[in-house]
Amino acid sequence: MKRLQVAIENKTLANGLKVVIAPDTTAPVVTVGVYYKIGFRLEPQGRSGFAHLFEHMMFQGSANAPKMQHIKLINSSGGTLNGSTSYDVTNYYEAVPSNALERVLWLEADRMRALKVDDENLKNQRDVVKEEVRVNVMNQPYGGFPWLDMPPVAFRNWANAHNFYGDFADLDAADLKDVQAFFKTYYVPNNAVLLILGDVKGEDGLALAEKYFGNIPAGAAPPFADPSEPEQNEERRGNVEEKFGTLPAMAIGYGMPKRRTADWYAMALLDQALHGGRAGRMYRELVLEKQIAVDADGGIDDIFGYNGPTQMTTKIMHKPEYSSDATLSAFDAVIREVREQGINADELEQLKVKWRSDYYATLEGGRGGSMPKYGLMHLLACFTLFDNEPQLVNTILDGFLAVARDEIHAAAKKYLRNEKRAIVFRMPLKASTKEAA
Amino acid sequence: MATRTVEVATGVPGLAPERAVTWPKRTKARLPNGLEVILAESHSIPKFHGELFFRSGNAAVADRAPGLAEMTATMVRTGTVKRASRQIEEDLRSIGADLSSAAGMDTSAISFAGLSEFAEPLLGLVNELAREAAFPEAEFERERRQKLEEVKLERTQPGFLASERLRKVLFGAHPYAQLSPSEQQVAAYKREDLQMVYRESYTPGNGLLLLVGDFDPQAMLQNIEKVFGAWTGKKPESRMAAAPANPHGRRVYLVHVPGAVQTQIVAGCHAIMRRHPDWVKLGLTNSLYGGAFNSRLVMNIREDKGYTYSPRSGVSALRQHGYLSVSAAVRNDVVAASLTEIFYEMDKLRSLPVPEAELADAQNYLSGVFSMGLATQDGLLSQFSNVALNELPDDYLETYRQKVRALTPDDLLATARKYLDSANMQIVAVGDRTQIESQAALFGELEVYDAQGKRLD
Repeated sequence: MKRLQVAIENKTLANGLKVVIAPDTTAPVVTVGVYYKIGFRLEPQGRSGFAHLFEHMMFQGSANAPKMQHIKLINSSGGTLNGSTSYDVTNYYEAVPSNALERVLWLEADRMRALKVDDENLKNQRDVVKEEVRVNVMNQPYGGFPWLDMPPVAFRNWANAHNFYGDFADLDAADLKDVQAFFKTYYVPNNAVLLILGDVKGEDGLALAEKYFGNIPAGAAPPFADPSEPEQNEERRGNVEEKFGTLPAMAIGYGMPKRRTADWYAMALLDQALHGGRAGRMYRELVLEKQIAVDADGGIDDIFGYNGPTQMTTKIMHKPEYSSDATLSAFDAVIREVREQGINADELEQLKVKWRSDYYATLEGGRGGSMPKYGLMHLLACFTLFDNEPQLVNTILDGFLAVARDEIHAAAKKYLRNEKRAIVFRMPLKASTKEAA
Repeated sequence: MATRTVEVATGVPGLAPERAVTWPKRTKARLPNGLEVILAESHSIPKFHGELFFRSGNAAVADRAPGLAEMTATMVRTGTVKRASRQIEEDLRSIGADLSSAAGMDTSAISFAGLSEFAEPLLGLVNELAREAAFPEAEFERERRQKLEEVKLERTQPGFLASERLRKVLFGAHPYAQLSPSEQQVAAYKREDLQMVYRESYTPGNGLLLLVGDFDPQAMLQNIEKVFGAWTGKKPESRMAAAPANPHGRRVYLVHVPGAVQTQIVAGCHAIMRRHPDWVKLGLTNSLYGGAFNSRLVMNIREDKGYTYSPRSGVSALRQHGYLSVSAAVRNDVVAASLTEIFYEMDKLRSLPVPEAELADAQNYLSGVFSMGLATQDGLLSQFSNVALNELPDDYLETYRQKVRALTPDDLLATARKYLDSANMQIVAVGDRTQIESQAALFGELEVYDAQGKRLD
């Protein structure tokens, strides 16, 4: 068995910025990422959607690179860029030919040092974000299902339960003071990690990080609200109307253990036993064998990247001639079997081979064809920000490969319980009303 | 046009000298049975990516039914004479492999990726799927039903409805006009029809096997000869459909979706195929127009005006024809304003030479992004397959950047005048007619359809 070993160098600058370099000269390309340890989970109350709106503002201008210059300078260096907001981190990343590395670092440092935006920029991006929400959620069949539908049903703490894309009234209420306050609180070097991956030497990467980021002043340690949930002791259910789609759908989510606990490794493999594509038990039983569902998939969203309550979620679209109850019974039968029997020995062996193969693909993989090493960047960032241990990228695989059958069986019994789950039903409007007007 | 003055950045570090871009060497072979093989090493991870292409897709059998090649590809993984569906899926998992089978307009393909240590069993399974698919009756009934639900669902997606209408408008009676089958057409699929497509198309004479990854090419080639050598079958006769007429004059097609809270716009015109000598010129023109984040259209209707989140233009090159399209999902009250800017930016590129500095930026962009594919196995695979399937010259990858760099403002002006066919663009707007009809009608003679494709008054 060939093992993949990622070479890593890392250090923390005097201002608290963590730096991770992963040199690899295979291609004359370098990927740069800056991750801030703040996502939409802990955005301010009354400002739902703000962390994401703020992410857009980071492209609107900094002290020495005004509006439109970030995008122009990366594209015109032969590179691509983007950012994304998730539960517990927000990232900004670029992939460029390696001769543009210093330029990228200068740009990232410039916007970490000082954001320079005005009301017009904010209005502009508020409009852009609303169209983003419309195109991804409000004007799409099954838009936001289940990632926006599930939280208000499953969780009780506002941090986990609110609308992460943002209520439009909250987006409208956000002003420049909010923008600057959020920036000052969370976008400090001591709450971030800089990653440089690809065509760079370790020592050069560290020196460049010092050169461009070293003199950014540290900020106060950011305050983080408590995201913990009260213990759940009853099944929770909710309904969401489906405006466009034609099939009834449901999502069932079970609470997950904390990252890097023994239960977490076991649940990860159990998740693959259930949701591992067409060989997974859910798809096999509901789609291929019983033929109740048209699709059944799901899993643990961003398994390495969450830092608060999360779920393993199954998403089912089923044939209209089967009721929700009948579909849920078929789902329950799959859950009952792993609770009663655990999984088979040869199944576990297969899952481990597949896990290893998928893990390598994640490390190499881009996000689309033009973002190499996105997966490696993401894992290194999460292991650094949450665990202060980037080397986990080389060792964490062992934890998954060591999981035993009885641990999976025990995890199934402990976590896959009705009183620990939430269910969202997304039901199409009646066909007759759909055709009206 | 942009209403805001653009400020420049100060103190930006210059670019270091470029590192040379070296594409990995390709090992090419043709087996005695006609199967073309291309192999390339990439040792970034202990895996490999592969694709077995057949040069026939939905267009080749469109006279029988739309989507027939896609349905055939779907069935290929559901059972062989040796393995049942469940066995195939478990065997794949046991060697850590991913596999999918699909068909586009011009090709059918089995795509796969797996650990290098299990290359032999994975190639063995691919060979079995390509030669001995069994099309089990029960699997066929199940997949057809799933397909039926899928085509129903498509008709609720604004992006699909827009692309579908544009294809119909641009390609008329040509097979490329049919993006997807109707429910009735799916219901009429017969297992025997799929088996016939399989027998005709899935042959070594029609095939191209591409592998990129962590292996030794000579050893891999021997392996391939062993696995695929005994396969036989000729290339099917290719039929060229009559060329579609080029639509003349702007027209507007409104697809009415009651209650839509946004309008999906797409506009398009005929363009060129990959092999065309103007391809690189059009690629660069497109990246200036709306093909990059930094492009004129994105800066205008997103970063300046905030009409939309995701405006984009692109050139779609199919084997027999190509087309250019521009799309944006916009607020209902700015449909006319967005179309105005879409045409303004097009006409500007048709009228005024691109400033040298902007041209240099766009050349850097295209040339830099092109080499990102070097960094991953599937990135390499897609570049190599692009060259092979489109029969581009052997040095296409190696010379592409020079060709981009050689272009001048005059070249781009001529290219824009030739291909950004502003006066003859066909416009599709998917949205609620009560909100957008009067805006859409400003841009040409209007036809209104419902989501099922029925013409409305």
